[in-house]
Amino acid sequence: MRLLLVPALAVIAVFALALGALFQYSLLAFVPGSLRTGGVTLENFRGVASPQYLGYVWDTVVLSAATTVLTLLASYPVAYALARTSSRAARSWLLILTLAPFFTGAIVRTYAWLLVLGNTVVTWPVPMLFTERGVLVGLVHFSMPTMILLLAAALSHVDPAYERAAASLGATPARVFWRVTLPLSMPGIVSGSLIVFAWTLSAFPTPELLGGGKVKMIANAVKDLALDSFNWPGAAAFAMLALGLTLALLAGVGRLSAGWHAE
Amino acid sequence: MRSRMILAVALVATLGFAAAAPAADPLVVSVWGGNWKDTIDRVVAKPFTAKTGIPVEFEVGGTIDRLAKARVAKGNPLVDLTFTTTHVGRLYISDGLYAPLDMTKLPNAKEIAREAIRSEYHIGSWAYVYTIVYRPDLVKEDITRWSDLWKPSLKGKIAMPDFDPSHIITIAALMEGGNETTWQKGQERLRQLKSSIVAFYSTDAQSQDLMKTGQGPVQVMLSVNAYHLQEQGVAVKLVQPADYPGIVGIDTMAVMAGSKRADAAHQFINFALGKDVQTQLVEALRAGPVNGAAVVPAKLRGQPGVFLTPAEWKERGYIMNDEVRAKTLPAWKEWFTANIVRR
Repeated sequence: MRLLLVPALAVIAVFALALGALFQYSLLAFVPGSLRTGGVTLENFRGVASPQYLGYVWDTVVLSAATTVLTLLASYPVAYALARTSSRAARSWLLILTLAPFFTGAIVRTYAWLLVLGNTVVTWPVPMLFTERGVLVGLVHFSMPTMILLLAAALSHVDPAYERAAASLGATPARVFWRVTLPLSMPGIVSGSLIVFAWTLSAFPTPELLGGGKVKMIANAVKDLALDSFNWPGAAAFAMLALGLTLALLAGVGRLSAGWHAE
Repeated sequence: MRSRMILAVALVATLGFAAAAPAADPLVVSVWGGNWKDTIDRVVAKPFTAKTGIPVEFEVGGTIDRLAKARVAKGNPLVDLTFTTTHVGRLYISDGLYAPLDMTKLPNAKEIAREAIRSEYHIGSWAYVYTIVYRPDLVKEDITRWSDLWKPSLKGKIAMPDFDPSHIITIAALMEGGNETTWQKGQERLRQLKSSIVAFYSTDAQSQDLMKTGQGPVQVMLSVNAYHLQEQGVAVKLVQPADYPGIVGIDTMAVMAGSKRADAAHQFINFALGKDVQTQLVEALRAGPVNGAAVVPAKLRGQPGVFLTPAEWKERGYIMNDEVRAKTLPAWKEWFTANIVRR
């Protein structure tokens, strides 16, 4: 039986080795203008703990939180319709529209947003392209299909008989939603939010293209250090720092949601 | 009888294998993808193979992907010859990834501009400039000087590269009486440009998209990309700035240390430096030749990035010190991101 664990342990070992190599690199001194590294140092961590890099972490967390909330708000009605509509045709169309973005790829979708947000198709009252607003739109669009599917799965497990019972006891539709449907769909909300939050923390192409260089998240800053400044030890240190912060954040959010769910 | 049959089968098998074996080991060339690889394949590699019988294969990738791969394969390189920008070539050299060039095997190097011989390890293949490029249909007034970028009328219209801010940093320093070594002199001037910048681009493709869509109608841009846009029908104007020259970029070739095909790599480099191939490269890439004997089409003569004489290399372009650039780029990038890019 234990032998069955071997493939999984092998995969984990490969990832652990890669992470270990990254950590080792983060402790080597950066020599500007050279690919050679110097001796062991903590200077890389001091460098990326500066306000500039912590600013990228803060921007990433804020954008990820905003993306999660907006994605949830935009996805819930679609997921509700998907789970509850009695029309087969409507369900099929909703499903097709939900899944369609999966078939276009992140880069193509983001390029499409470049045109839409850039006043070439629509004239926006406020600048959208190359702003946090534009990046947020792209991130929400990118995240919606997954959130919709997770919410729809959770909502389909909510027995409509509970809602009918609440309504028959005099609850208004709004009260039924707030007191019955929403709490019962909480597993989908929690899992969907965690997934969207986690992957938005590592978003790269959307801020890279829609941010026009002005909106940078953690992955963009790591790329800048590694590929533009050739500072691979610095990039490794920032990646390690960001990984630690991300894990801590996710653990915190996970604990919070587990406690909430238990209530 | 039986042993004869076995012998016959062995002979046929041997001949079969011999017929299937390649004529020669290929020369593996590392290069950027897209138009760069296609042009080098068509203009250099295929005629080279026809002339020498040496087949050429390509390893395609971005500048840094290829650098990373070369580093991993140090001592036993996966490629024999590398094309890259001159300052990134310095990084290869710093890690011992290039072999010294044997100039006796490069007779065509005698014809090339002195500025194109970047070191004893790498040699220029063509040149271009980073200069001002704009769309006259979206920018009503003429732009003729670097200092025009600071005009209030261009606020919110300028796009520039953030992956390598060395060009604008050097220009700002030159305007304040400094250069790339004393780049701090231009810092205040650059801060004044911040509100004029609408976007930063990190790839050539992004730069061209910004120009095509009009979202970045004034750019500090690679001349080669601007000519490419013109060919696609986008009406852009390249500026030969009257106050300070454009910043010269030179792409280079080098033989990898440990290559088993170093002789063939030298032959390839020599072939690429020849007058005829240089003439075709100019026509195909709209870049400047490194060989002064190359024939340049009339429409490209005198254009930004196309230098015809040794004097023009100095008069019409500013060539940064590769080593200073390679060593200072991280500091430039950090300062530029903190003070210009970030809101």
